[in-house]
Amino acid sequence: MAMDNRKHINHAGRHFGYSYPKSLSQRLHAAFTPFMVIVAIFVLLRISSIFPFVSLATSPTTIAFALLATFVRLLIAYAFAIVISIPLALLVTRSPIMERILLPVFDIAQSVPVLAFFPLIIVFFIHFGFSDGAAIFVIFLSMLWNIVFSLVGGLNVVPSDIKAAAHVFGIKGGSYVRSVLIPAIVPYLVTGSLLAWAQGWNIIIVAEVLHTYIPGGAVQNDLFGIGSMLVNATANGQNGVFIIAMLAMILLIAFLNFFIWQKLLRYAERYKFE
Amino acid sequence: MPNDINLNNMPLIQFAGVSKIFEPEHETALRDVSFEVSDGEFLCFIGPSGEGKSTILQLIAGLEEKTSGAITKPENVSMVFQSGALLPWLTVLENVAIGLTAKGLSEAKARAGSLPYIEMIGLKNFEMKYPRELSGGQRQRVGIARALAVNPDVLLLDEPFSALDPKTTEELHRDIMQVWRDTRKTIVMVSHLIEEAVSLADRIILVKNHTIQKEFTIALPRPRRENEAQFSHEVLQIRREFFK
Repeated sequence: MAMDNRKHINHAGRHFGYSYPKSLSQRLHAAFTPFMVIVAIFVLLRISSIFPFVSLATSPTTIAFALLATFVRLLIAYAFAIVISIPLALLVTRSPIMERILLPVFDIAQSVPVLAFFPLIIVFFIHFGFSDGAAIFVIFLSMLWNIVFSLVGGLNVVPSDIKAAAHVFGIKGGSYVRSVLIPAIVPYLVTGSLLAWAQGWNIIIVAEVLHTYIPGGAVQNDLFGIGSMLVNATANGQNGVFIIAMLAMILLIAFLNFFIWQKLLRYAERYKFE
Repeated sequence: MPNDINLNNMPLIQFAGVSKIFEPEHETALRDVSFEVSDGEFLCFIGPSGEGKSTILQLIAGLEEKTSGAITKPENVSMVFQSGALLPWLTVLENVAIGLTAKGLSEAKARAGSLPYIEMIGLKNFEMKYPRELSGGQRQRVGIARALAVNPDVLLLDEPFSALDPKTTEELHRDIMQVWRDTRKTIVMVSHLIEEAVSLADRIILVKNHTIQKEFTIALPRPRRENEAQFSHEVLQIRREFFK
């Protein structure tokens, strides 16, 4: 029945000359563009004084630095996620026994909500005087499993002929990992990373607002960043700050999408087996 | 041209009562298989799918371990795969050189050592192309060059022409015969096409029911043509056993 519906939709698509997005980049593009249009309309409505526009209480430079601080946090968390996820994925796919043991463990680990542990993580990092570590760690955890499961999927689809060829030509051990497995997972690393960054941007709204998790906490406990700026601007009724901060964040995400991820997705095509 | 290959009588590969059972399914792939391959011989295994012929090649290549019996084979064995099995992120030159770099040669030496084989199989000026930029036949040629570049004692061909169109298959048949004459390599091929086996091999072994059913010596002069009466006679003889 579902198949029949899809047939009708595809038929209708052809009939009206609309081509449905097939690749991940096309799907992202299709999803992102309407979102941008909605935001633009919303901003225009605010500027045209249909709603009372509140003056900007924070300078644009501060907003830019907040965005940079958040971006650096995401970047550090992502670097850790990459470094940890590749060996984890290689370990899981090392043998069917490893896969049977570790995959359910990873599945449970990724199912546990990261934020449930956030208060404990904060206490731990504040104990060492490194509150930034709490945010980075929670972003890292939210990114990790997207990449791990994507890589495991990629490693499982390396064709058996390729594995056999590597064996016949003496490509073994570290050389096999470097010259066959790592390149083979490039497309999956890119798609996993794309999803991981989306998850990271989602979690940043919570990860920087530490005071809500600290007993008797104040705004001063929060980390300087775009996430905490958005939350505190909303709480204080600073609509101007909220809108500009949100627009800045969307612009950065759009920039990364168009100039980094789209290019990487295209580049990764060359690493795909036919 | 006569059947111009001089075979040394010394067997290069020997299988004595070899069996292979895949665990944990306990699935029998080979039962009590014995044969010999002489140095410089072109041997072809034919038979229905899933009855053990590819397992023989995997045992020679060291991709599988025998369950029982004895196997004597040289260390330096290389293989051409059905799919080509090229690494899509490497150029033709890098793909051909990969076996040599794995043997410890420097990148530069491996590439220099690969160039004659790329030229031999007719891909000069394609060195910097990627597999996705090549036709199916060209990709298979790269696979042949990669297999030859490591200077193997035995070249294994695992149904290398089965995914190609008839014209490309015929071109590659000519190429592989040329390579055989030029290099005097021992070639062991697996095919499911009787005509292909008769047109290329000195000897054909029919594998059925997971064991050797019958051997056929093909004494036809080369190049062999399918429209010749003797060729048709050989094919008919094998076909009778194949479908028995």
